[in-house]
Amino acid sequence: MSSESSKKRKPKVIRSDGAPAEGKRNRSDTEQEGKYYSEEAEVDLRDPGRDYELYKYTCQELQRLMAEIQDLKSRGGKDVAIEIEERRIQSCVHFMTLKKLNRLKGRDQTHEAKQKVDAYHLQLQNLLYEVMHLQKEITNASGVSSKHEEIDLVSLEEFYKEAPPDISKAEVTMGDPHQQTLARLDWELEQRKRLAEKYRECLSNKEKILKEIEVKKEYLSSLQPRLNSIMQASLPVQEYLFMPFDQAHKQYETARHLPPPLYVLFVQATAYGQACDKTLSVAIEGSVDEAKALFKPPEDSQDDESDSDAEEEQTTKRRRPTLGVQLDDKRKEMLKRHPLSVMLDLKCKDDSVLHLTFYYLMNLNIMTVKAKVTTATELITPISAGDLLSPDSVLSCLYPGDHGKKTPNPANQYQFDKVGILTLSDYVLELGHPYLWVQKLGGLHFPKEQPQQTVIADHSLSASHMETTMKLLKTRVQSRLALHKQFASLEHGIVPVTSDCQYLFPAKVVSRLVKWVTVAHEDYMELHFTKDIVDAGLAGDTNLYYMALIERGTAKLQAAVVLNPGYSSIPPVFQLCLNWKGEKTNSNDDNIRAMEGEVNVCYKELCGPWPSHQLLTNQLQRLCVLLDVYLETESHDDSVEGPKEFPQEKMCLRLFRGPSRMKPFKYNHPQGFFSHR
Amino acid sequence: KPHRFTEVFQALQRLHMTIFSQSVSPCGKFLAAGNNYGQIAIFSLSAALSSEAKEESKKPVVTFQAHDGPVYSMVSTDRHLLSAGDGEVKAWLWAEMLKKGCKELWHRQPPYRTSLEVPEINALLLVPKENSLILAGGDCQLHTMDLETGTFTRVLRGHTDYIHCLALRERSPEVLSGGEDGAVRLWDLRTAKEVQTIEVYKHEECSRPHNGRWIGCLATDSDWMVCGGGPALTLWHLRSSTPTTVFPIRAPQKHVTFYQDLILSAGQGRCVNQWQLSGELKAQVPGSSPGLLSLSLNQQPAAPECKVLTAAGNSCRVDVFTNLGYRAFSLSF
Repeated sequence: MSSESSKKRKPKVIRSDGAPAEGKRNRSDTEQEGKYYSEEAEVDLRDPGRDYELYKYTCQELQRLMAEIQDLKSRGGKDVAIEIEERRIQSCVHFMTLKKLNRLKGRDQTHEAKQKVDAYHLQLQNLLYEVMHLQKEITNASGVSSKHEEIDLVSLEEFYKEAPPDISKAEVTMGDPHQQTLARLDWELEQRKRLAEKYRECLSNKEKILKEIEVKKEYLSSLQPRLNSIMQASLPVQEYLFMPFDQAHKQYETARHLPPPLYVLFVQATAYGQACDKTLSVAIEGSVDEAKALFKPPEDSQDDESDSDAEEEQTTKRRRPTLGVQLDDKRKEMLKRHPLSVMLDLKCKDDSVLHLTFYYLMNLNIMTVKAKVTTATELITPISAGDLLSPDSVLSCLYPGDHGKKTPNPANQYQFDKVGILTLSDYVLELGHPYLWVQKLGGLHFPKEQPQQTVIADHSLSASHMETTMKLLKTRVQSRLALHKQFASLEHGIVPVTSDCQYLFPAKVVSRLVKWVTVAHEDYMELHFTKDIVDAGLAGDTNLYYMALIERGTAKLQAAVVLNPGYSSIPPVFQLCLNWKGEKTNSNDDNIRAMEGEVNVCYKELCGPWPSHQLLTNQLQRLCVLLDVYLETESHDDSVEGPKEFPQEKMCLRLFRGPSRMKPFKYNHPQGFFSHR
Repeated sequence: KPHRFTEVFQALQRLHMTIFSQSVSPCGKFLAAGNNYGQIAIFSLSAALSSEAKEESKKPVVTFQAHDGPVYSMVSTDRHLLSAGDGEVKAWLWAEMLKKGCKELWHRQPPYRTSLEVPEINALLLVPKENSLILAGGDCQLHTMDLETGTFTRVLRGHTDYIHCLALRERSPEVLSGGEDGAVRLWDLRTAKEVQTIEVYKHEECSRPHNGRWIGCLATDSDWMVCGGGPALTLWHLRSSTPTTVFPIRAPQKHVTFYQDLILSAGQGRCVNQWQLSGELKAQVPGSSPGLLSLSLNQQPAAPECKVLTAAGNSCRVDVFTNLGYRAFSLSF
């Protein structure tokens, strides 16, 4: 086999070195002579289909033979070897056939075919690559948006409605979106051109008008000096006609120098007076020159300082102000008032006047007020009425809790600490009271939660509080004046009951008021029968305290009175102590407690006609009546001899009622009998 | 510190408030209190007694205007609160009262003799056996009202002055009444007649003329009766009408009750007094009011955790005693 294969191999070896040259030589060989077997020629002649069939058949045969050999071998035996040999030879022949076929499967043909396939493959690759590239280009192109899409075009309906037909070209554009977009862009351009025109026109108009304004302004400013001269000339006429415009004008001139809070107060009070209350008059007091001087730089003082320093270095004999005096000066400086102040005069119906002077403390940024009450006829002040109209207390707690003893500006505390001021209340007599309503009238608001750096005067704050405050002030003065008059009577042992309040009481009242005096706050707190009021927090130091003594026979009734500055909206509160057959107070006698209730809780019936100036006197009269009832209805003690001290004169339906065995304290008008609530 | 008018006025109202009556809810968790302004406040005992109780728990859950005049007396049935004061008795549903704007279920007025002034009702007494309510007060008569139909079935006459208090003797059934005329009268409900009269002030051991003869409070326990008021607080053996123990306290007592083997009383003065039946004072526990008018023991089985003694009187507060030895805290209107 090897010899056969070597023969066949030789031409194969030659053929493997460079195909084209070989091909030529091969052809020439076959042309020359058919001397020896040429595989190459055979390759051209053979049919590849038939070769494939042969190949298949040979493989099948080989397989069959191998299987038979396998069978024989496994069977074993002597003659097996011959059979096997025979088949071996056949197999070899088949192997040879396969070898030949393999060789014949001319590389050229397959090579050519392969090359063709490769070429096609390459073409395919190129095309695919191109396709990919083109696709990329397309996506890129579609990603890029054209500028025209960024323009906000009007909606389609509007476009067709508004655009002139030569632009919209409905027939064409309806069908073709590209044309439609073009048309819309056209229209957009049209519109823009038109609007640009309009804009230019408007600009030029504006310029024209501005010029006109300038001209008019010039004209007006030249008018001012002419008017002034007319005003001057008219002064004598004004005076003759009692129309002091000039005076008001002067006041406004002065007002310009007021510090902002006083200015707000001035403006708002004047406005309120003109609009709502003709009895209010507003004036400015103080030195305008000093006010102007506040804003001049202190040049002279600087020179002084340097002088004194220089001298100090030279001579130690020169006296320096002591530390105490220095501190005092600093305090004075801190509490300095603005040289101008605003005066408000409220005139009441009975010709009494409340004079209010408002000051501004410049370094503390707060306002204070000083009050004075004057009456048409001179008042003789009863002893107990001292505090009613005193400047210090007449306006105390005008609004509940507004005692005016502390500065309303929280920032002031730090300033006070620096100069050793404990509290502003030490200086209120001199400076006036810094009530909260005063700050509000000056437009100043000091919020507790967030202390502000600079608090500026606000007109609306002042305006919103003006009317209520003015009304409260008037009510306060009237109420105090009424009390003033009543106290004079009370001190003489007479409870002044007006005719329109007579119906509240029986005709005959036997118990009498024998004493009416003021009581100091500390003394009130010390009384043994006022504990409940003190514990309830109703006995603060802003109240006024009095003691009334009502007597009948051997019975003495003490009544401790708390008068709230807000009288008569807030009723006076009574606490009683009866000395008769022992001491009876609300803690050991339910009826005494009930009597207190009759004046403290059931006071509304005793208010009388508005504005309730009769409340206190009616309460006192009621106490007298209650004492009468108490004494006359006291049950007779069987064990004691003799008649009752106080025979019952009051008409009562029943003497005792309920679990607490209450006396009949309620007076019924006009029947005139007493019953229980 | 009250500054504004409304604050001042509310403070004054509270200072002059008197709580006349109390009643525990059927579930035992709530307490109703009636005052001289005609208001009823409902307090949550369970909330006030719980470990998470805050200051608001001591305030009423709801307060409403129940009557025009003072609420002198209240009792509770298993579903209703009955309140009385100025002449009429009203019924409220316990389950509804905690809601705002609660309206009374019904109101009834007994047939009074007088017409000038409406007499007050000082005492209410439930008679479970016949499902009726007894009312007594300013017109000196005891009226029974059937709770089912609302009709007034009996009038018991005998007192010569107004009636303060009532007590029930379950067995018979008999009613005891005490009044301003100084007598304790026993009434048999079946015959509607007065069967026994004790004129307390006529007995030297207990009479105190300087205080008056009025009987302000009554309590009974089978054969025994304790009463007080103008005369001294005295324990009586009913069948023999004899005073067996006079309790040594000067101040007139306005409320008395038997509790276990003790007698509890309160009246003028701050304290709740605990007495042995022998007459010995076991304890005197001060409350927060200068005088007391009513005591209430919460013995409702449904709420054992709310078993407290509550005392109220001449103030806006109701003292709560978790054990009889001291005042734990006070509820307040």
